[in-house]
Amino acid sequence: MMAQAGTAAKDAPLRKSSWKRTALIWLSRYGTIVGLLLMVVFFSANAPGIFLSRANFLNILSQASLTAIIASGLTYTLVVGEFDLSIGYVASFVGLIVTGLMAYQGFPIWLSIVCALLLGAAIGAFNGVLVTKVRINAVISTLGIGTMLTGIGFTYSSFPIATGIPRAFTDISLGRLVFGLPNPVIIMVIVLIALWVILNKTDIGQKMQAVGGNLEAARLSGIRVDRIKIFAFATAGFCAALTGTLLSSLLGSGTLAAADGYLLDAFAAVFLGSATLREGEFHISGTLIGVLILAVGFNGLSIFGAPTHFQPIFKGGILVLAVGMSALARRYAASA
Amino acid sequence: MAPAASVGPWMQIRGLTKSFAGELALDHADLDIERGKVHGLVGANGAGKSTLIRCLAGVTVADQGSVTVAGEDLQKGSPQASEQAGLAFIHQELNLIPHFNALQNILLGAPKVTRLGMIDWQRSGVAARAAAERVGIRFPLETKVSELSMAQRWLVMISKALVRDASMIAMDEPTASLSGPESEQLFAIIRDLSAQGVAILYVSHRLEEVLQLCDRITVLRDGRIVDAAERGALNKKGLVRAIIGHDIRPPDERARFATDRARQPIFRVREIAWKSAVKGVSFDLYKGEVLALGGLVGAGRTELAHLVAGVARPDAGHFELDGKRLDIANEAEAVRAGIALVPEERRSQGVMLQQSVGFNINISTLKKLRAIPGLPFVSGRKARRQAEGLVAQLGIKTPGIETKIGGLSGGNQQKALIARWLNAGTRLLILDEPSRGVDVGAREEIHDAIRALARSGVGILAISSDVEELTLLADRVLVMREGRITGELTGSDITEARIIELSYHDTNDAEGEIA
Repeated sequence: MMAQAGTAAKDAPLRKSSWKRTALIWLSRYGTIVGLLLMVVFFSANAPGIFLSRANFLNILSQASLTAIIASGLTYTLVVGEFDLSIGYVASFVGLIVTGLMAYQGFPIWLSIVCALLLGAAIGAFNGVLVTKVRINAVISTLGIGTMLTGIGFTYSSFPIATGIPRAFTDISLGRLVFGLPNPVIIMVIVLIALWVILNKTDIGQKMQAVGGNLEAARLSGIRVDRIKIFAFATAGFCAALTGTLLSSLLGSGTLAAADGYLLDAFAAVFLGSATLREGEFHISGTLIGVLILAVGFNGLSIFGAPTHFQPIFKGGILVLAVGMSALARRYAASA
Repeated sequence: MAPAASVGPWMQIRGLTKSFAGELALDHADLDIERGKVHGLVGANGAGKSTLIRCLAGVTVADQGSVTVAGEDLQKGSPQASEQAGLAFIHQELNLIPHFNALQNILLGAPKVTRLGMIDWQRSGVAARAAAERVGIRFPLETKVSELSMAQRWLVMISKALVRDASMIAMDEPTASLSGPESEQLFAIIRDLSAQGVAILYVSHRLEEVLQLCDRITVLRDGRIVDAAERGALNKKGLVRAIIGHDIRPPDERARFATDRARQPIFRVREIAWKSAVKGVSFDLYKGEVLALGGLVGAGRTELAHLVAGVARPDAGHFELDGKRLDIANEAEAVRAGIALVPEERRSQGVMLQQSVGFNINISTLKKLRAIPGLPFVSGRKARRQAEGLVAQLGIKTPGIETKIGGLSGGNQQKALIARWLNAGTRLLILDEPSRGVDVGAREEIHDAIRALARSGVGILAISSDVEELTLLADRVLVMREGRITGELTGSDITEARIIELSYHDTNDAEGEIA
């Protein structure tokens, strides 16, 4: 017995440290999902009637869908190792333009939307050119372009565009065409599947991952690195434009700065996602989980009647936590 | 000049030993350094010069041995202690801050005169200006370092050492980036400093320089000090012999591929020049042969490889591949033309560490792996089949193609990087240091793979600083020195001795000595 106890004690520190390590790796991979489930369980137990209802779940999904679309676009820029701070401003700007095209220019709905989405992609591509060809740091160029868009939006229309918007446009986000699910949720599913397929199943997606993984190695592998990055920025712009358009449809008006707040949500979601399932890599399914954490969290806060100023505390806290977890996950992956 | 208290040499290095991962980098090195003398330190790449200097600088901690300076033990592994003992180190990269002016750089980290907590540049500058005068700086010290020439930057570095009252200044390859007259100017300053009682530790590959400048020369080989001689006791031939050692391997018995020069070359290099690194290089590469570039680090080989692979564009000259003149603007165009580079820095430029072995192998052939030609979807089945086939062909030891490549040994990572180009329609494969950091067994396998590729008709250009590797791998060796090809070796002429000789001499030079 004594001898056994002795060896056990001798082994203990070693076993403990490796146990700790395994736990940490596990936590860094599945921590976000566990967190999401814990939140759902907690809210369900404490507010069963309100939280745990079909209506509320659809509400959460609707809220999440706009964030998920813009955040998946942002995921692309992070996959290639860049950054896009303009997405919130692009969404606001395009949301304003799309209503303006209908109200002032009298464009049909479909044409307005097509123009709006192309405009978003073009702004994104321009960001990409600034970053890759002119070699301006992405933080600076996208912040600069985003700020300019705010001003240009104001020049275009200094007050919200609320009249002259066809009913059919607002119906886009209010309607429920499939399975009684709100349309934005369906659009989100389509966008997420498309982006997931491009990222994981096509050459361009593989090249994006190579560029983000090791820029020099990608270049020496014959990948046209600049084009890949510009594509990622254009996708981010396109997704931002789609979120902005859906938001205008939801609000029934084009409003200055309406979507600016999506920037922070998107970043929080993407970084939470990068600490999910993989070690600090950015990926679409992770981003979706990040978005759901935010949406469930906001929903819970409002159900429990938390004052509105709790929202930014939650949001900022999550962002810092998410980036921290992502960095930790990467460090563990590197040391493994 | 020497303090009265100390007896014997000013600095005594005794039994200094350091090993990395079981390999002795420095093996019981004894060395005396005296103030007022210029000490030359020579040796091949990896002979232990850098390790010795790093130990003195306190950047590397020696396993055994001691260093005493003016009779006092030097604390190990402390850059501060080394600086306080009066040791200064000037590395090739010259750790200067480009957008600071010369004065700020000279005073960086040195104690400064402050008034009310603010730096009094006027008064701090007095010492700096005195130091600048000692080395003969004639430009205003307010000039930004980025606007200075390399020679002027060296003067700033030396002034920086003098401001700290350095008794010894170690210089690593000072003339590597200097022109002839600039080098002469530096030598004059070194002699001046030496006359003023400063000890100089002069590390260089340029043996003429060392013979001309140094009062005493120490030769390192495989971590051991193999020769030490006063000025005049050694000539260049003796120095070369000391550097490579007497136990020269017999010429490799392996049959080398006899280059068939009657055929059209796969690849031609014509009068390529780039900046000061490559100065008009021409050669032809023939089918079936493994052509290797030898020479010292900094001879311009990696730069030449980069020019071929589209990383940089040559200032003059051109390349021809399969008889067609090339105009390559970037890496992607090079790859399309069939030119691929397996780079020197495997981790930072070769592998995508976080990705799988399969991903790393397939990344350059995605178009061939499409499920339906014309549509951009990669077929998982085709990707798997190609990766598994190449893993088997090259004997890459990995649990599977889904394993992250970061978990593989260096040799297997290197094989995966070669595998990347096997199905990519590669016509010319450049391998920069193909077996760096790879164990002997894996090296053999990598060499076999390279030879098989060459025999199959792919042009192979290998670059290696490892002389032994050149003798093992190459069918033909071109030796580069200071941006030029200084010699060509074929068949039984490919020996370590001949390669080293050519790395240090011009052919004319060598003939002159023999005659």
